[in-house]
Amino acid sequence: MQENYLAKWLNNELTEEELAVFKKSDEYASYQRILEASKTMEGPDFDVEDALQAIKNKRILQEPKVVQLKPFRRFLKVAAAVTIIMVGSYFYLNTLNENITTQFAENKEVILPDSSEIIMNADSKIAYSKKKWDTERNVSLNGEAFFKVAKGERFTVTTDHGTVAVLGTQFNVEGREGFFEVTCFEGLVSVSYKGSETKLPAGTSFMVVEGEIVPAEEPKNLNPSWMDNESTFKSIPLKYVLDEFQRQHNVKVKTQNIDLGKLFTGTFSNTNTDLALQSISVPSRIKFKLEGNKVLFYAESAP
Amino acid sequence: MNTDTKDNVCDEEVYSTLFRANSKTVFNYIYYKYGNEEKAYDAVQEAFARLWENCAKVTPAKAKAYVYTIANNLYLNVLKAEKVRLKYADRVTTTNHETPEYVMEENEFKLKLDNALQALPENQRTTFLLNRIDGKKYAEIAEMEGVSIKAIEKRMHLALKSLREQIDGI
Repeated sequence: MQENYLAKWLNNELTEEELAVFKKSDEYASYQRILEASKTMEGPDFDVEDALQAIKNKRILQEPKVVQLKPFRRFLKVAAAVTIIMVGSYFYLNTLNENITTQFAENKEVILPDSSEIIMNADSKIAYSKKKWDTERNVSLNGEAFFKVAKGERFTVTTDHGTVAVLGTQFNVEGREGFFEVTCFEGLVSVSYKGSETKLPAGTSFMVVEGEIVPAEEPKNLNPSWMDNESTFKSIPLKYVLDEFQRQHNVKVKTQNIDLGKLFTGTFSNTNTDLALQSISVPSRIKFKLEGNKVLFYAESAP
Repeated sequence: MNTDTKDNVCDEEVYSTLFRANSKTVFNYIYYKYGNEEKAYDAVQEAFARLWENCAKVTPAKAKAYVYTIANNLYLNVLKAEKVRLKYADRVTTTNHETPEYVMEENEFKLKLDNALQALPENQRTTFLLNRIDGKKYAEIAEMEGVSIKAIEKRMHLALKSLREQIDGI
């Protein structure tokens, strides 16, 4: 008999001889019977169509879960867009200049990134770039301010009239309509005005009135007078004196029959309005009328 | 994913055909191994669900082997075999010449056969039943079990031998 002859017999792979021998054996009947009985056996019920339906239903149930992920993905898209906008605007705003403004009758002290100090007089505006500060110390000024510059690279103040460049010093710059004055209190300041450069050693001033360079009085104090709440003038046209008064006291100035080109020398208080009015009107021999926050200056001889 | 060709498992029709052709065998296969109807049903669901998930990667020709492998691995070393209960169709008892004694004797034989089947090692029982009940060729069983045809022949031979010895009380 060959190997696994029972398996071969089931598969009809026995030779006729082998089959004959096998049929004669005692066990043959039993094997035959086992086969007969096993022919009628069945496994448990299994409904193929039910099972197929079940698996398809499950698939349908599972699919909406995938759909549910989509709103989240949309949320991610929005979140990504918002993040980009926020980060973008952060960097954009960072490159923008810092702007500082003072109103009428207001002084402000500004500390720059290199701990240089700027003290701003009333109605002034400065701007500088925080980001570029390390490479370029540049402040643009419209109005009046006192600078205490920390030692370091070139420090420049740009005004509509001219540029002031220093290395490390204390100086005052006033650049207003028709009026440009630089006063150096310490160190050396270089002023370029209309292409020409002027070196200002400590204790000197450079002044331009109505486009003309005027010889200026040497400063007596260590600070500009406005920092001591006073405004000092030496041979300055009355127009600029009244402008300054208007800025310091937040009072609207009107004039009547007055020669605004008349030169004024003197000082007025920046805190006491009545005193300041006296200080201006008495030496100039003009009269004034104060009503609320309006003041009218008029000539003494006027009716 | 390409779903419009007819020889792609992702095609609903191809998939259904594969399911109808093979699910019953997968079910029986797992049932013969472990005697647990519920687990056998779960194995069918799991194997065919996985086939659907991977329908783009599995060709229809390999789908059959794929589902058997998954069903087989599912309970490997996890499930303990329970008693395999088999039903007997009414065919034999409907023949007209049987006497009560014959029926009794027949039932007694079936009981013996049942017990003998339980006593078989799992792989012999599975091979025997797949061949006898499901009419699977040795080659097919060999493919399902991942062994050679010769090994299946051996299992078959030993299964028959053990069954007879059990029944004849040797």
